[in-house]
Amino acid sequence: MVSLRAYILTRLLLTIPMIFLLLSIVFVVLRVMPGDPIKALIGLKAPPDTVESLRRQFLLDQPLYIQYFDYLSDLFRGDLGISIYTAEPVINEIMLRFPATIELAISGTIVSVVVGVLMGAYSAHKHNTIADHSFRLFSMVIYAFFIPWFGMMLQMIFAVQLGWLPLYGRADIYLEPTHITGLYVLDSLLTLNFSSLINSIKHLILPSIVLGLVLSGIYIRLTRTHMMETLRQDFITAARARGLKETTVVYKHALKNAFIPVLTMMGLQFALLLAGAVLTETTFSWNGIGTFLLQGIQNRDYPIIQGIVVFYALLVAAVSLVVDLIYAYIDPRIRY
Amino acid sequence: MSHGKMGVSRLVIVGVLVVIIMVAAGVGYWYSLEQERLRQEKIKQTIIIGTTDKITKLDPAKAYDFYTWEVMNNIGEGLMKYKPGTTELEWGVATNYTVSSSGLNYTFTLREGLKFNDGTPLNATAVKWSLERVIRLDDDPAWLVSVFVQSVVVVETYKVKINLKDAVSFFPALVATPPYFPISSKAFPANAVKDVTDGWHGPYKVTKWIKDEVLEMEANPNYYGTQPKSKFAVVKFIKDAVTLRFAIQSGTIDVAWKTLRPIDVSDLKTVADLNFTEVPGPYIRYIIINTNRTMHSTAWPSTDAKFKLVRQAIAAAINRTEIAETVFMGTVDPLYSMIPMGMWSHTDEFKVKYGDANITLARSLLTQAGYSETNKFNFKLWYTPTHYGDTEADVATVIKKNLEATGMMEVTLDSTEWATYAGEWIEAGTMPIFLLGWYPDYIDPDDYTTPFVAVEAGDYGMGTFYWNATLFDILTQARTKTTIAERTALYRQVQKTFMTDVPHIPLFQGTLQAFALSNIKGLVLDATMLFRYYLVYKE
Amino acid sequence: MARLVRLPRRFLKKGGEWYLTYAGLAIITLIFAIFLLAPIIAPYDPIKTDVGERFTAPNFQFPMGTDLHGRDVYSRIIYGARTVMLVALASTIISLIAGVPIGLASGYAGGKADRVLSLVMDSIYSFPGLILAIALAAMLGPGVVNMSISIAVVYIPTYFRMIRGQVLSVKENLYIEAARAVGAKARTIVFNYIFPNVIPSILVLMSLNIADAILTEAGLSFLGLGISAPTADWGFDLQSGRPYFPGLPGRGSYWWLITFPGLMIIVTVLGFSLFGEGLNEILNPRQREGE
Repeated sequence: MVSLRAYILTRLLLTIPMIFLLLSIVFVVLRVMPGDPIKALIGLKAPPDTVESLRRQFLLDQPLYIQYFDYLSDLFRGDLGISIYTAEPVINEIMLRFPATIELAISGTIVSVVVGVLMGAYSAHKHNTIADHSFRLFSMVIYAFFIPWFGMMLQMIFAVQLGWLPLYGRADIYLEPTHITGLYVLDSLLTLNFSSLINSIKHLILPSIVLGLVLSGIYIRLTRTHMMETLRQDFITAARARGLKETTVVYKHALKNAFIPVLTMMGLQFALLLAGAVLTETTFSWNGIGTFLLQGIQNRDYPIIQGIVVFYALLVAAVSLVVDLIYAYIDPRIRY
Repeated sequence: MSHGKMGVSRLVIVGVLVVIIMVAAGVGYWYSLEQERLRQEKIKQTIIIGTTDKITKLDPAKAYDFYTWEVMNNIGEGLMKYKPGTTELEWGVATNYTVSSSGLNYTFTLREGLKFNDGTPLNATAVKWSLERVIRLDDDPAWLVSVFVQSVVVVETYKVKINLKDAVSFFPALVATPPYFPISSKAFPANAVKDVTDGWHGPYKVTKWIKDEVLEMEANPNYYGTQPKSKFAVVKFIKDAVTLRFAIQSGTIDVAWKTLRPIDVSDLKTVADLNFTEVPGPYIRYIIINTNRTMHSTAWPSTDAKFKLVRQAIAAAINRTEIAETVFMGTVDPLYSMIPMGMWSHTDEFKVKYGDANITLARSLLTQAGYSETNKFNFKLWYTPTHYGDTEADVATVIKKNLEATGMMEVTLDSTEWATYAGEWIEAGTMPIFLLGWYPDYIDPDDYTTPFVAVEAGDYGMGTFYWNATLFDILTQARTKTTIAERTALYRQVQKTFMTDVPHIPLFQGTLQAFALSNIKGLVLDATMLFRYYLVYKE
Repeated sequence: MARLVRLPRRFLKKGGEWYLTYAGLAIITLIFAIFLLAPIIAPYDPIKTDVGERFTAPNFQFPMGTDLHGRDVYSRIIYGARTVMLVALASTIISLIAGVPIGLASGYAGGKADRVLSLVMDSIYSFPGLILAIALAAMLGPGVVNMSISIAVVYIPTYFRMIRGQVLSVKENLYIEAARAVGAKARTIVFNYIFPNVIPSILVLMSLNIADAILTEAGLSFLGLGISAPTADWGFDLQSGRPYFPGLPGRGSYWWLITFPGLMIIVTVLGFSLFGEGLNEILNPRQREGE
């Protein structure tokens, strides 16, 4: 039996080549494509010396392999470089926008899991009824709801027609909470700012519903399958025999077992969540990493584009590792 | 196990919890109502501006874009500044200057007793430190200082002398640009570029800045001049033009400033509750022609004279009105000279000789150059698809249509991203004919003319590769002459030469547009492209 | 059960998974019909401007209204099907051609090469797909071909993993051992024994892949990284219609500009999803759920 520490180490070691691969693809393609970000940035009027010194600063005058190894050695020390456009360290720029994406991802996941699990459990419970078939169909149909379209539909109804919820953004003027984590809801709670709290939640509702519902399908089906299996097991029969109410049996005892598969699925869905967040951020005008990547691409800001790729690769690997660790902790047979 | 007993105490606990929660909710609700009332009060005194532009760096040694310069003009000030609504200069933190007879030395007298937001004094030492810092850090806008300034000397506490390398008479216009702003040596690091919010002296001071999200400002009580009309100003940074439209439509912002799409502009103009302001802007769009015949293929005109005729023909065939109407819905104005309208010395030179869609003239010129309907002049017109907005392809399409209407030209359109366009090809002369735009650094005809003439080896004149020693002499003279009258005469000559030699063809001039809610007053726009928040107020 | 057509009894079985598959198939057929018959069924040229008044609401002449340039939305939807399906199919085929052979070879060969390849494929697979597609599309530029390539790269690992998995599980079967024992060449084994077994799974995967590819294509076009104007495309039309859904005072919402492209995306994706999922359940039936 392999120790937990060895398991973590092995997984981490496997992560590294993954990140290098993605980084290398992006790195090389960016530099092979024609075009000079420096000149493009400061325009045609600056004297050649300024352009040259800036190019030197970003090592753009060096051969490709030197740039590559320099980037890698910086990467080892945790340095993602400097943005060409703003001269800020890339890591700072990313961390400035990361909270928005994370807040969206978390609340989206909450919606996904709650909706998914409840529907799935009910489906399993009322097996083969109209409800069951409807929910199963729903799980497939909802995935086809193109996020920008779904977002606009909800905006049209709830923001424009009914005026119940805001159209875009994270908070109204003067209601942004004091910056602690960057997650508006959390920061509002920490600073006991109730107006900010309500306002932030209002702005979070539509984007989370969009992102969460679209990705809820897998949780519906997973919960349903798992529950149906669980409901056949002996301890459930025993509980029923003991006279416990049916709802208690299903929703309390059987559902608890679905916890682990759902958790694992959350880890697997994380990449999908990040991808969906890009479209959600664009539709609702949130200042997250998704919109930041698009901006970086427009500006040919190499360090930003590379930095985001590396960052996301690390993030996905980390989440997947955490999920696997929890799983391995609970079930020692899994480790290898 | 009696259900009864358990039930009762459970009930009591739940009951107490419910009461506590309700009380807490009630208190929280009342409290938030009060907060909301205060917030609404504050909003009444706040001007909210929405923009899709961003602040690049709040450091005058680094920022080289119009939007950041606009913000700097609201939270800071220079020795000189522009009178709002005009391109006239007036005194800023300086009250006077004298120029030596050689034109090389400017001595500025500063207002006394001014302080930066962090308490340090705004004096001659600060001015010297700031200018030397810009030169030393040698970043994007540094050339605006280092190309012109030789040295800075502190004469007295409130008197500073700037010695120039050349006697350029538009130096005061340069002084009004942010790289020349005095800043605090305590707040700004001497050897690095940094976002700093409190080392300035201006009408507003920054109270909160979340990058790319929001900038909150409050009137600066220590400002020497008139206090801003609104006590608070907030800039909301909006992600894209469509959201900006939504924002002004729904009234979540008071002013929509840069940059709405032309389609949205014409839509919003129909809304009665929105006030629309428009002034000619300083940015221009034009076609550049690489005049160096040897850099093109052998299919091109065989002599320089013939090539010139072809260029003139192109100038004649273009229909600027069509471009302005169909592509931009009238939100831009046709332009007939490289020096924009509204700037002194401007003349509609190209209109005089060529006009618009002058097919007859174009055909005759082409015939003289040896082309005909069976032997067409064939070339590629390049444009860049996103840098100037998504209308570029449409502009190129109209131009192609105009030129092919002569029946003697055949145009192929091609495009490439800005990074390649400006990053490599313009300098390399890869594109024989292409579209380009121009935003001025300083408001002076020199900035619209000199860069397009090649002088030394390696100069590419923005892709024109246009060598004309006589013209360059005239331009040098124009820089140094001190009266507007003399300079105007010289720039008139320059425009005439451009019209004959056609190294570039002016197309249109942009306009500055803003939408504001009907209760917003004090909106002043001018060719400096600097929107002054401190003049705006709510009725 | 009325027998209108003499189909093999298999195809008339009752069961949820069959309904799904047939429903999906029906939609797919419809979309392909639109794809093929576009020039015939589209009343107007989709990129021709001013065939009608700008911004007219759906009416008899223009069943889905007209857009900002006075173009017929209905025709644009029809031709949009072409663009979307073209990209989705092209990218799927590329992924298939790249992923399947590599997966087959890697799975069969095993060893170091297999481990390295798996690592490469896993890296791409675990990375958020749309983001990789965005990065690639941005670097390659706009256009149908570039979009297909960008999307294809994202889904190659899907085929690789599936095929490799199948190969690994089949590899241990006795009849493979027997074949090897008789001295059959690797290539023969692969093509005669392994490949036929994986074909049904490939079909399922393709269907689901096309569904995903459509969503990714729409995403890229919506973000402005896909096709260039004025090509008809659902994602692109969604983005151009976006400013008009709130409406202005005195003027309603131009809802038809976004409703129809969006619905088309849903229906098409659904078609391929249903077909794929249904087929999957037919081929790999889950344990009979005793009741």
